Amino acid sequence: MIEGRYFDARTSASHPAQVEIGANGILRLVSSVELRQVPLESVSISDRIADIPRRIAFDDGAAFETLANDAIDAALDAAGRGGFSRRLVRWERRWAVALAALLAVAMASWAFVKFGVPALANVAARAMPASIDATIGSEGLELLDKTMLAPSSLPVARQEELRRQLRGMAASANDEHDYRLEFRSGKRIGANAFALPSGIIVVTDELVELAKSDAEIDAVLAHEVGHVRGRHALRLLLQNAGVAALALAVLGDVGSASSLAAAVPVMLVQAKHSRDFEREADAYAREWLRAEGLPETAFDDMLCRLAREDDEITYLSSHPPKDERADCKPARKSPAR
Amino acid sequence: MEESSPMPAAAAGTQTVPFEFRGTGGQYFRIWIVNLLLTILTLGIYSAWAKVRRLRYLYGSTSLAGSAFEYHGQPLQILKGRLIAVGVFVIYAWVTQLWPLTILFFLPVFAFLMPLVIVLSRRFQMRMTSWRNIRFGFHGEYGGALATYVGWGVVAVITLYVMAPYWIYKRVRFLLVNTSVGTQRAAFATGPGRFFAFYFTALGLAIGAVAAIALLSGGIGAAFGAGGGPPSAGFAMGAGAFLILGLIAIPLAIGAYWERSFTNAIFGGLAIGPHRVNCRIRFGRLLWLYVTNVLGVLLTLGLFYPWALIRRLRYQLECMDVEVAGSLDEFTAAAAPDASATGEAIGEVFDVDFGM
Repeated sequence: MIEGRYFDARTSASHPAQVEIGANGILRLVSSVELRQVPLESVSISDRIADIPRRIAFDDGAAFETLANDAIDAALDAAGRGGFSRRLVRWERRWAVALAALLAVAMASWAFVKFGVPALANVAARAMPASIDATIGSEGLELLDKTMLAPSSLPVARQEELRRQLRGMAASANDEHDYRLEFRSGKRIGANAFALPSGIIVVTDELVELAKSDAEIDAVLAHEVGHVRGRHALRLLLQNAGVAALALAVLGDVGSASSLAAAVPVMLVQAKHSRDFEREADAYAREWLRAEGLPETAFDDMLCRLAREDDEITYLSSHPPKDERADCKPARKSPAR
Repeated sequence: MEESSPMPAAAAGTQTVPFEFRGTGGQYFRIWIVNLLLTILTLGIYSAWAKVRRLRYLYGSTSLAGSAFEYHGQPLQILKGRLIAVGVFVIYAWVTQLWPLTILFFLPVFAFLMPLVIVLSRRFQMRMTSWRNIRFGFHGEYGGALATYVGWGVVAVITLYVMAPYWIYKRVRFLLVNTSVGTQRAAFATGPGRFFAFYFTALGLAIGAVAAIALLSGGIGAAFGAGGGPPSAGFAMGAGAFLILGLIAIPLAIGAYWERSFTNAIFGGLAIGPHRVNCRIRFGRLLWLYVTNVLGVLLTLGLFYPWALIRRLRYQLECMDVEVAGSLDEFTAAAAPDASATGEAIGEVFDVDFGM
């Protein structure tokens, strides 16, 4: 005998009732308003979840609700109607299962972020034409010109010399990007170089002056070509979308204040992915130097000098630590500081 | 549920009946993590079943006058809807990536489609909710939604958002007065004045906080410049900690103020027939919940999230009750709207929770 409440299909009045599921497959309901006797197959019994009320719905819309979950389970077992949901409830009840599931989910998420997301983003990026790269951050240079940069004061002849270097490099990169070299005075950002996804590479006067040889500038240019050729901006966008999709799947509907906290792992992962791209661009620069018969030390020397110049502030988060990227000799105390 | 109903059925006066919430963070966590594992193992297919299980747990843990709420969503229908939604999104993303200018065509289409999506998904959500075997309903129509969401939205933009609180008010009103429990329609008594009051208070607090932070950080910058030498590490760290706290604590406080005022304005003005709903969330308690929830989620790398959600929900329901006039036994079921079966199927596709 299962105690509960009966609701007819018409009003919200609740009537005390009992249900009995017989071995003959007949469900009997006794209530103050109605007596019903129906085959078990004609009703639908909701799956158990923890200890929330269970519902037996009759085919005419009436329903019986009860908190006697165990009694319903026993009756269903006797009638041979257990099913997957019984196992689910047992799993959900045990902390050991929850911990095992947590470990599995953590490992799967880690593997997905480390291998799955970059691989998927790479495949997706390959499927997109190079013209898409130009649309990413196309207003970026304009904005930087207004805020961080000033017109270059480098002699035109010197600019042309370096542009010729890049043209050679672009030919060996052999991809669909339209490489172009721009010079600026790095008012706020000092010695620096960066590439826009479209293939525009910007080098500051300060960086040209900092370099001890053209090979060092070439190393920097090759690094930037590595970013463009590897389509790192597009892939980073796609990877961020992938990580955000995963976070959404894991956290479901992230509610109000908690979304702030959910953004943190996404940001950490993004920093990791952009460090990976720096390594990839470094590798491309070294490869190019080797192929040209230039000393790889040109890259190390330039990187170390930049790191010293920067005091590593801007390189802190999005770039790998310099000790890992280049074999730096102990820094001389810079006289400028 | 077994215990007898706490209300005398024939009482003529009003009686205050509280909402009860029996969910626990531990239970919700275990449901969530098992859901998550099965979703991963099935490459996302199980997510529809997971959603139904999660919502059934939350609804079933909430009760009024001894009867729990129920969620009736069907996993297969939700899965079908999700697959269609993903398909539509992928096509949209591809088309706008390849021909970026098509976005100029899509944006106005979305503006006119969104009210339809809201109406259909709301209809679906309400139909999937019941209490004491009485299904909820939603009767908003496309025209009303268009006027409310797009029309008043345009007014809000034209008036430089001075009328934004009125827009919010109209949206809440549209969603609530079109809701029904069985045949009993809901009413909404909160006036637009309250929306204006808390909107501009929150805005003023936000502007004041931003100005204060800007002034203080300007002062710190000046101290850097004037000192000549490098500032002491202790001072820099103190300033940094102050700014970070300011950037997190102030948004949290304003967020708590907003949510307290908004939720109280919504549910405090709601009536289902003769029965009035009360909602008295207190700022201090909500802020405390926000702070501890955010800290918990941060310190556990997100694992605390299920507890955070349950704590938030439990507190809100603790603050809510219903002033019952007469009896809660007299809701009557509406005729099943078989005619709108296709509309509901579309609603499942767009079963998006827009909030208010």
